Amino acid sequence: RQQQPQSADYVYFDRHPEWFSKASQDKAASIKLKLEHYYKTAIEHAIERNQRRVSFEQKLGTESSGERRNRELQVFGRNESQFLRLRRTRLSLEDFHTVKVIGKGAFGEVRLVQKRDTGKIYAMKTLLKSEMYKKEQLAHVKAERDVLADANSPWVVSLYYSFQDPLYLYLIMEFLPGGDLMTMLIKWQIFTEDVTRFYIAECVLAIEAIHRLGFIHRDIKPDNILIDMRGHIKLSDFGLSTGFHKTHDSNYYKKLLDQDNASGVGGLNNGRNSVLVDPINLTMSNRQQMQTWRKSRRLMAYSTVGTPDYIAPEIFLNQGYGQTCDWWSLGAIMFECLVGWPPFCSETPKETYCKILNWRETLQFPEDIHLSPEAEDLILRLLTDSDHRLGRNGGALEIKAHPFFRGVVWDEIRNVEAPFIPKLRSITDTRFFPTDELENVPDSPALAQAAKERERMKGNVVGGADTKEDLPFIGYTFSRFEYLTRKNAL
Amino acid sequence: QSSKPPLFICEPFVKIALVKGSYKTIVQQPKYVDYHEWLALNTFELFNHLNKFYGVIAEYVTPDRYPIMTADPKTEYVWLLPNNKAVSLPAGQYIDHALTWISNKINDQTIFPTKSGMAFPPSFLREIKGIYIQMFRIIAHIFHNHFEKFVHLSLEAHWNSYFAHFISFVTEFDLIAKNELEPLSMLIENLEAQGKIIPVGKDS
Ligand SMILES: Nc1ncnc2c1ncn2[C@@H]1O[C@H](COP(=O)(O)OP(=O)(O)OP(=O)(O)O)[C@@H](O)[C@H]1O
Repeated sequence: RQQQPQSADYVYFDRHPEWFSKASQDKAASIKLKLEHYYKTAIEHAIERNQRRVSFEQKLGTESSGERRNRELQVFGRNESQFLRLRRTRLSLEDFHTVKVIGKGAFGEVRLVQKRDTGKIYAMKTLLKSEMYKKEQLAHVKAERDVLADANSPWVVSLYYSFQDPLYLYLIMEFLPGGDLMTMLIKWQIFTEDVTRFYIAECVLAIEAIHRLGFIHRDIKPDNILIDMRGHIKLSDFGLSTGFHKTHDSNYYKKLLDQDNASGVGGLNNGRNSVLVDPINLTMSNRQQMQTWRKSRRLMAYSTVGTPDYIAPEIFLNQGYGQTCDWWSLGAIMFECLVGWPPFCSETPKETYCKILNWRETLQFPEDIHLSPEAEDLILRLLTDSDHRLGRNGGALEIKAHPFFRGVVWDEIRNVEAPFIPKLRSITDTRFFPTDELENVPDSPALAQAAKERERMKGNVVGGADTKEDLPFIGYTFSRFEYLTRKNAL
Repeated sequence: QSSKPPLFICEPFVKIALVKGSYKTIVQQPKYVDYHEWLALNTFELFNHLNKFYGVIAEYVTPDRYPIMTADPKTEYVWLLPNNKAVSLPAGQYIDHALTWISNKINDQTIFPTKSGMAFPPSFLREIKGIYIQMFRIIAHIFHNHFEKFVHLSLEAHWNSYFAHFISFVTEFDLIAKNELEPLSMLIENLEAQGKIIPVGKDS
């Protein structure tokens, strides 16, 4: 500890942040985060821009005509410059015109929107900030979302831009006009094995892509499998998924179960007058079961509770889980495609939860539905405990090698013709979304509350957005806007 | 008193930085990219950050403690009224005026167009040079009068890097005359000696 300071001007400084107001301290924290994010992304932008330029120049190298060359260079420069201009543009709700509500969740909704100045079409997801605040995992959720937004994978929906107001976070994403797999299943009831093979194979590649990035989706369900213009799939925005935590929280179900026990039905201390009655098992025929389930299916998707139908048992057990949990979900989806309902479907989420935990007893194929041995085998190898599940060793490779996928050309599947290609009349066609139904879905309590709040705040313009509340979302203020705009042309 | 160097030039603070490496990577105009668009975006961002930095200490820049707008004690800045009359203002008021003035320019669609298809005015370069002079004055005022506050709040690494970035950008595009930079020339030379900013004409 005898080290001399190198300079005579060396100053020992006693820091006293507490001499400053809370507001000043918060603002200091905010600019720090902002600047750190800024310099991090400034470097990334420079690198990406460079890569775009290099690959553009390479492509151009083969172009001999001088005039064509110049024109291409101009277009490239204009796109890059437009990209810069967009970053100066502060987008807000007013810049978008709502065409239709196309999806609904517990803490927000998804709308088809049109950007007023360019006429381009996007999907806008709103998320109630107050609900996200309760999620302790926000930081890691945000980090995941950032990486995925940058991944630019053909299997994941692109996120272009985000902004916020005091109540909501808004995500502007690419619009996938084909709806989702849930809607498709509601319409077709079941798929043939060939059709199933196509969707499940694409899901295998999508899940593989996510795993390669180091992520686990944990919430793969038909509602999150979206269909693009050409009929191919993409996994919807996740990580920010708000319904997720409740459906995955084992304590939540335990509490539900405890409530039942507390209400005393069949309890031990029921008094001597009680008679123990065997529960009557009302089994419905497959058709009936399917009908009831279908009816409640979409409502489930809109509710705060969410559906646990596709969640792997180990997630509920809180003993840690790995990437293989996504393969379980895939097995459940494949079952649904071929059978017409998911393997553990029940009247209530709680029952579903119990069935999943007891999957050894509850997993059954209905007798009147015929599956090929390969299909049945694959489902059974996915819907099994994680120690024996297909994919636990070789990941997607192991699954791709299963006989059910015989004949699938994995490298080409995204380019082949899809079984259903959405026929669209215009870029704002929403026929693949249950828009009429959505108009009648009541807001969840949290959303209704937020709507009231918004009414109240109307009029008084909200200034200084640099409050502490904004901190967790700083990374969202700008994300890569699609600077190559061709995707939106239809 | 006058023999004591300002805190920002002392060690360890003068050496503290958030960002390592050359600012050249993020300052240089990228190939094929429009010159005005590049200047506009960087000006927009440099201003937003300065605005935020000042916001941290704004409530302490009171007229009684800072009755005139200075950088170092020998440099006073006066505000030019629309009729070209120069007035001396308390620092807080001067900075409010300057920030509002800049913000109005940056939000003016005829100077900083954001809608697609709108062009920059021929006066653009002149406009932003005016903006940079005012931004520099606010920065110089903060260094000479409020650096200590930033240290209390552990902001010095971020602030130093912001400044190095600012100077690198201004130098790259020759946006501020050398004599304007005088109140911070010592610091600029020090940062140059450390290799944190590259002096004019010495780049690759
Ligand atoms: N980018 C998109 N393009 C088209 N439709 C979309 C898009 N994103 C979502 N949707 C539609 O909106 C529905 C709800 O979206 P999503 O599942 O992302 O939100 P949520 O249910 O509110 O929240 P979460 O599933 O994250 O808890 C989807 O099932 C789909 O039909």
